[in-house]
Amino acid sequence: MNWIKKCPAFFLLAVSGFIFTLIGVIGRFSVYKEYEFDMVKRPFLALMMEGAANGTAPWEVTSALGLEEDKFPGGLFALFKNDTIGQSIDFEDGEDALEALAEDGIVEGIVEGEGTAEETATVEETGTAEGKVTAEGKRAVEEEATIEGTRTTEGDVDETIGGEAPGGEIRSGETADSKTVDNQTSAAQNGIVGNETENNAAAGDGNRRAADREKTEEEGTYGFQTVTEDYFNDAAFIGDSRTVGLFEYGGIEERADFYAKISLTIYNVFTELLAKDEETGKKITAEEALTKKQYGKVYLMLGINELGTGTTETFMEEYRAVVERIRQLQPEAVIFVEGIMKVTGNKDSEDPIFNNKNIEEKNAAIAELADNRNIFYIDVNEAVCDGEGNLNAEYTIDEVHLKAKYYEIWKQFLMEHGIER
Amino acid sequence: MVVFTSLEFLFRFFPAFLAVYYITPKKYRNTTLLFGSIVFYGMGEPYYVLLLLAAVWLNYFFAKKIYSCRDTRRGRKCRKDRLAAVLALDVGLLAAFKLLGIFLDSSILPLGLSFYLFKMISFQVDIFRKEMTELPTFKRTAVYFTMFPQIVSGPIMRFHEGSFLMEEREYSLEKLEEGLQYFVAGLGTKVLLADRLAILWKDIHVIGYESISTPLAWLGAAAYSMELYFDFWGYSLMASGICVMLGFPFIQNFDHPYASKSIGEFWRRWHITLGGFFRDYVYIPLGGNRNGLAKTMRNLFAVWLLTGLWHGGSLNFVLWGLALFLLIAAEKLVLGKLFAKFPWIGRCYTLFFIPVTWVIFAVNDLGQLGLYLGRLFPFAGIGVALNPNDILKYLGMYWYYLLLGVIWCIPVFPRFLQKHRKNPVAVILTAVVFWLSVFCIVSMENNPFAYLKF
Repeated sequence: MNWIKKCPAFFLLAVSGFIFTLIGVIGRFSVYKEYEFDMVKRPFLALMMEGAANGTAPWEVTSALGLEEDKFPGGLFALFKNDTIGQSIDFEDGEDALEALAEDGIVEGIVEGEGTAEETATVEETGTAEGKVTAEGKRAVEEEATIEGTRTTEGDVDETIGGEAPGGEIRSGETADSKTVDNQTSAAQNGIVGNETENNAAAGDGNRRAADREKTEEEGTYGFQTVTEDYFNDAAFIGDSRTVGLFEYGGIEERADFYAKISLTIYNVFTELLAKDEETGKKITAEEALTKKQYGKVYLMLGINELGTGTTETFMEEYRAVVERIRQLQPEAVIFVEGIMKVTGNKDSEDPIFNNKNIEEKNAAIAELADNRNIFYIDVNEAVCDGEGNLNAEYTIDEVHLKAKYYEIWKQFLMEHGIER
Repeated sequence: MVVFTSLEFLFRFFPAFLAVYYITPKKYRNTTLLFGSIVFYGMGEPYYVLLLLAAVWLNYFFAKKIYSCRDTRRGRKCRKDRLAAVLALDVGLLAAFKLLGIFLDSSILPLGLSFYLFKMISFQVDIFRKEMTELPTFKRTAVYFTMFPQIVSGPIMRFHEGSFLMEEREYSLEKLEEGLQYFVAGLGTKVLLADRLAILWKDIHVIGYESISTPLAWLGAAAYSMELYFDFWGYSLMASGICVMLGFPFIQNFDHPYASKSIGEFWRRWHITLGGFFRDYVYIPLGGNRNGLAKTMRNLFAVWLLTGLWHGGSLNFVLWGLALFLLIAAEKLVLGKLFAKFPWIGRCYTLFFIPVTWVIFAVNDLGQLGLYLGRLFPFAGIGVALNPNDILKYLGMYWYYLLLGVIWCIPVFPRFLQKHRKNPVAVILTAVVFWLSVFCIVSMENNPFAYLKF
């Protein structure tokens, strides 16, 4: 063994590389089986790295060791050969987890995850359902307690578990990895503990019903007016990096409050720590911040980071819930749902995900939320796009974000679209 | 695959090549290296590999011609003519592609063209100068021109540095280990530092130069200076590490340049093989500094103009070369004596002006360059939609990379690690840095939008 002393680093890399490869190979049968993988171009250990990047710890692959062959139709090596597995497999751990969910009062879960290969699993346990299923949810719900996998595009991992319980509805959004059932369970439980029954009207039908009721109760809608900067004195802005840019360069940071963060999505808008508690100095979520302070208007622009995630339906379900929650916390506020700012024509033509077709689809759905009395749809693309409906290439370097000096255009647009009630 | 930081290179090409190379009997390892290099280049440039092979063959043909009339009557005239012919070919090829790159599209440039042509030029001149006592065999010459660790971006090794004769090359497990550690140091420098600092530099673009505060403009200049250094130094370390693993000597391309006491010294410690090439094949043939001040300045000017043009075709590179010429000329005339007396003044001067020259290097559009310089020196420049707090945001986001970067620029730290590289802690650190780098590569590759989170 004298040679090891001569090249210990080489030896260490070889051994660790072998172990990581082993983890990758084993994981290929279990936690990494949905990942796209080309054995010619990539080492097996890349699967482990990819899993770790998605939040799956390497030791979780051992869950595969407990599985017997009869749980994998066709045997392990059938899986190995076939990349598009996951269609017809229901493994026991999953069912156990579902039972656990059901016991906790969760009867409907929409689980969405993404990796290189991604699974959109829709689960329903009909036994304890009360027949009150969300309008959007219904479409996605399956009648049996099975896990069904469908493959969609790449991106980060998002998971939304929504549920109804006999005592009220529970909603929560958690970012987690959907590939391990353990995670799903704990995510669901966290959600239950965290959110209790506050989110009563979160579901889609409640939303619509409420809107209908209000329409019949009150007639008359409001039109946009030009306002001064003072208008923003009681405004709150919620959004992703574009709204961060508005905060930094729009010139209204002294007046309005901003709850914005790079790569914020509709799924984590209420779980990320975006604000500071003025009394304690502790970091709090936007939800807590909106509980503590009442605003005259709340602006919301989210959706570009989610373009690679799920469908417009799943996105809107969450979006509607967020708007409804804001409505609840800020009953007096005008809510501005902002259309997602587009990207340049160049980016539009090159990018399979972050393109204007996808943005327009989401914007059209967001626009439907407007009732023009409490909720208003405004679309800054009217001000920043060129004749062809793409983000004006002069206004941006990276084809996605406005250059600092052009946030003025956005501000002016907002000032031309004030609502005075 | 031709990128050392790709998974294909790290886990497919290189391990496979290394295994084949060491299984091959010593006598035939040059053949293995030659074929491996052609496969490597062919994967990156399936068509231009033919250009490479043609250039190799033509250059060897001319080298033989130059060599053959070394001892004849009128030998010098004969060698000179033949050297002129082959230099016209090599320089012409380089100039033609550089011009096409400028006027058509920079993607037209064959991979590593200037690096292998510079090797060829130096080879011809060395033969002409009778610095080689015998003509190397075709195989050894071809290996020297094409060897895959150096073909993409150097270092521009000289033939005599490469110990191409089999008897001279040294194979041992210790060398393998040493080369691996250089390689991993380079990998970490590139992936864990340069690629992270690059994101800060990108962020500044997104804001628009007219809207960055002066402190942020300087932070950006510093970050870009480090990014460029770590990118190229990291690459050079990887290339030289591979060479060491294959039994070649270590070729030093960077010698902790940011610790220099003058800009002239900086450039003797930055991209050493390129500086050496220009010194030996341009500056000294023109007369160097031996023919009076005026000619020295002329030669210096020629070198810096060429250095500027070599790095890129747009006007900012000419400006960049010019700025360096002026700074170095000023040092030669006046400041040099001052710096010799007070080295700390020289250090500060270097650390102040080098980032400014890198900004000129980085920003291709002259209007944009004016804006950036206007933010660096805000006496004349006008800022639009400034946010004075922007510096805090970016310091908050990148302070650990910046801090690590500064530490990695100070020579004592890398030298300490190099000295104690056999220490078990250093060995474990090697493995950690390697896997951390691989992790970063995988997560970037898998999520190409990691740069772009909105």
